[in-house]
Amino acid sequence: MNYELICGLETHVELSTKTKIFCSCSTEFGGEPNTHCCPICIGLPGTLPKLNKAVVEYAVMAGLATNCEISPVSKMDRKNYVYPDLPKAYQISQYDMPLCKSGWVGLSNGRRIRLNRIHIEEDAGKLVHDRGNTFVDYNRGGVPLIEIVTEPDLRSIEEVQEYVEKLQMILRYIGVSDCKMQEGSLRCDVNVSVRPVGQEEFGTRAEIKNMNSLAYMAKAIAYEFDRQVDLIQSGEEVVQETRRFDEGSGCTEGMRGKEDADDYRYFREPDLVAILVSDEMRKSIQKQMPEDPQKRLTRFVSDFDLPEADARLLIEHRRIADYFETAAKGAKNPRAVANCILGQMFARLGTEAEKEQFEVAVTPEQLHELILLLDSGKIRMNLVKSTLEKMLDTGKPAKEFLSEQDLAGMSADDLKAVCEKAVAENEAAAADYLAGKEKALKAILGSVMKATRGRANPQEAEKLLADIIRR
Amino acid sequence: MVTHEEILKIARLAKLSVAPEELDSLTKDMNSIIEFADAVNSVAAEDSDFDNSNSLSNVFREDKVVPSYDREEILKNAPNQEDGYFLVRRRM
Ligand SMILES: [Zn+2]
Repeated sequence: MNYELICGLETHVELSTKTKIFCSCSTEFGGEPNTHCCPICIGLPGTLPKLNKAVVEYAVMAGLATNCEISPVSKMDRKNYVYPDLPKAYQISQYDMPLCKSGWVGLSNGRRIRLNRIHIEEDAGKLVHDRGNTFVDYNRGGVPLIEIVTEPDLRSIEEVQEYVEKLQMILRYIGVSDCKMQEGSLRCDVNVSVRPVGQEEFGTRAEIKNMNSLAYMAKAIAYEFDRQVDLIQSGEEVVQETRRFDEGSGCTEGMRGKEDADDYRYFREPDLVAILVSDEMRKSIQKQMPEDPQKRLTRFVSDFDLPEADARLLIEHRRIADYFETAAKGAKNPRAVANCILGQMFARLGTEAEKEQFEVAVTPEQLHELILLLDSGKIRMNLVKSTLEKMLDTGKPAKEFLSEQDLAGMSADDLKAVCEKAVAENEAAAADYLAGKEKALKAILGSVMKATRGRANPQEAEKLLADIIRR
Repeated sequence: MVTHEEILKIARLAKLSVAPEELDSLTKDMNSIIEFADAVNSVAAEDSDFDNSNSLSNVFREDKVVPSYDREEILKNAPNQEDGYFLVRRRM
């Protein structure tokens, strides 16, 4: 029998606000242990949390960018559990009235992955286990998180990966999180179940906790799929439980002592008041958001006549997209602008992080000027490339590297003289062309381009050559 | 009615130990608390699905960093600490 994979994701994303969700301590990553702490975020009795406005705004932005309904009324709740990473023995989260509901994220195969909800909550501290002792650092405690919960709509490992990448792109784009999996600012819990193909009803699911790498996530899901299919085929049952992925062995294993873990005894947080998002507030948050990356992609393809693959690369990081747009606006050759960025500039940027920062010596305005020279026919693409290379080395504008002669182009008389010389030197090819071999002309054109160091306009030269030969 | 088993479960979740001789009185106390809550519920407002009883909303703080406390202050009351961390010793 064939089995189908069913996945749902709960994604925790750290928001890039300056301060924590309920106190004014810094959210900066790293730092000496317990140096970004105050009585509120270490949970001392008698302290009162005060909600960071930016957290609500960022979460609403995330909701709007993923097609969610924004709840006009929501509230905070206490989720009770006892563990050293949580000094109050409860986490302030949202239970039955989350800030955002019923959204979706579209995949390239046309499927929409439905989002059940997005809610806000506080992150826990960081634990370092060493020989049975636990060292606790509360710098991360109280850092704002959004938890994005999908419906069980994902049907393959590829879909899971694309969904996470899409989410990263969207959230980075609107600037609410850097979504760095390796630093833990985006982490996923994956719910996995299997069912025979064609069956309507879902199987029992297992939840794999705290995945912070796409590669491990793929391995964990593949392992879990096989494990559950094996269980069912040998007549056993899948147990609903929380499992941990072991990076060394590539296996998932059940976590012990979690029998009461889901009994969180949620109740309303009495120290915080209701959150009301009016139409006005929602609209003003919407106004602060940049253009939706998906819409921008479509626009880049249609307005700038770019191949979709190129547009996708430009869109991935907002700085690059903004740079391209500034440089390409009003240019007749937007594709050349894209090629300069994706070719020569990307060649100088090794890592994704460098691309995201996109620190290049040439301003978009300088690139625009260079491309205008191409547009007006004053210089040709090969000269654009060599000039850009010098600009990237020095940060100086194009004019510094282009001589009068470079910019003068070629006069009609000069071009005619070069063409006549080329025909005279290539008699055999000229004869071939007259005999009907169209390709022979290209050989002569090649020597013209070489003689003019690429300054000749090939269309003009080709026409001129044909005239000369036929004469 | 709350049972002994429920009291023991709640105690376990809260990491409390309950001596057998305490069980009867704790169960009785818990029942009276729940009765009180039921009494409140029976007269709860009807026309609102969300009881925003203190009628306050949107009390926010601006996203501005204020320097955190010195680490010595933060760790001052910790039963155990080491290298700037709170230390939770291995449980027996
Ligand atoms: Zn704090």
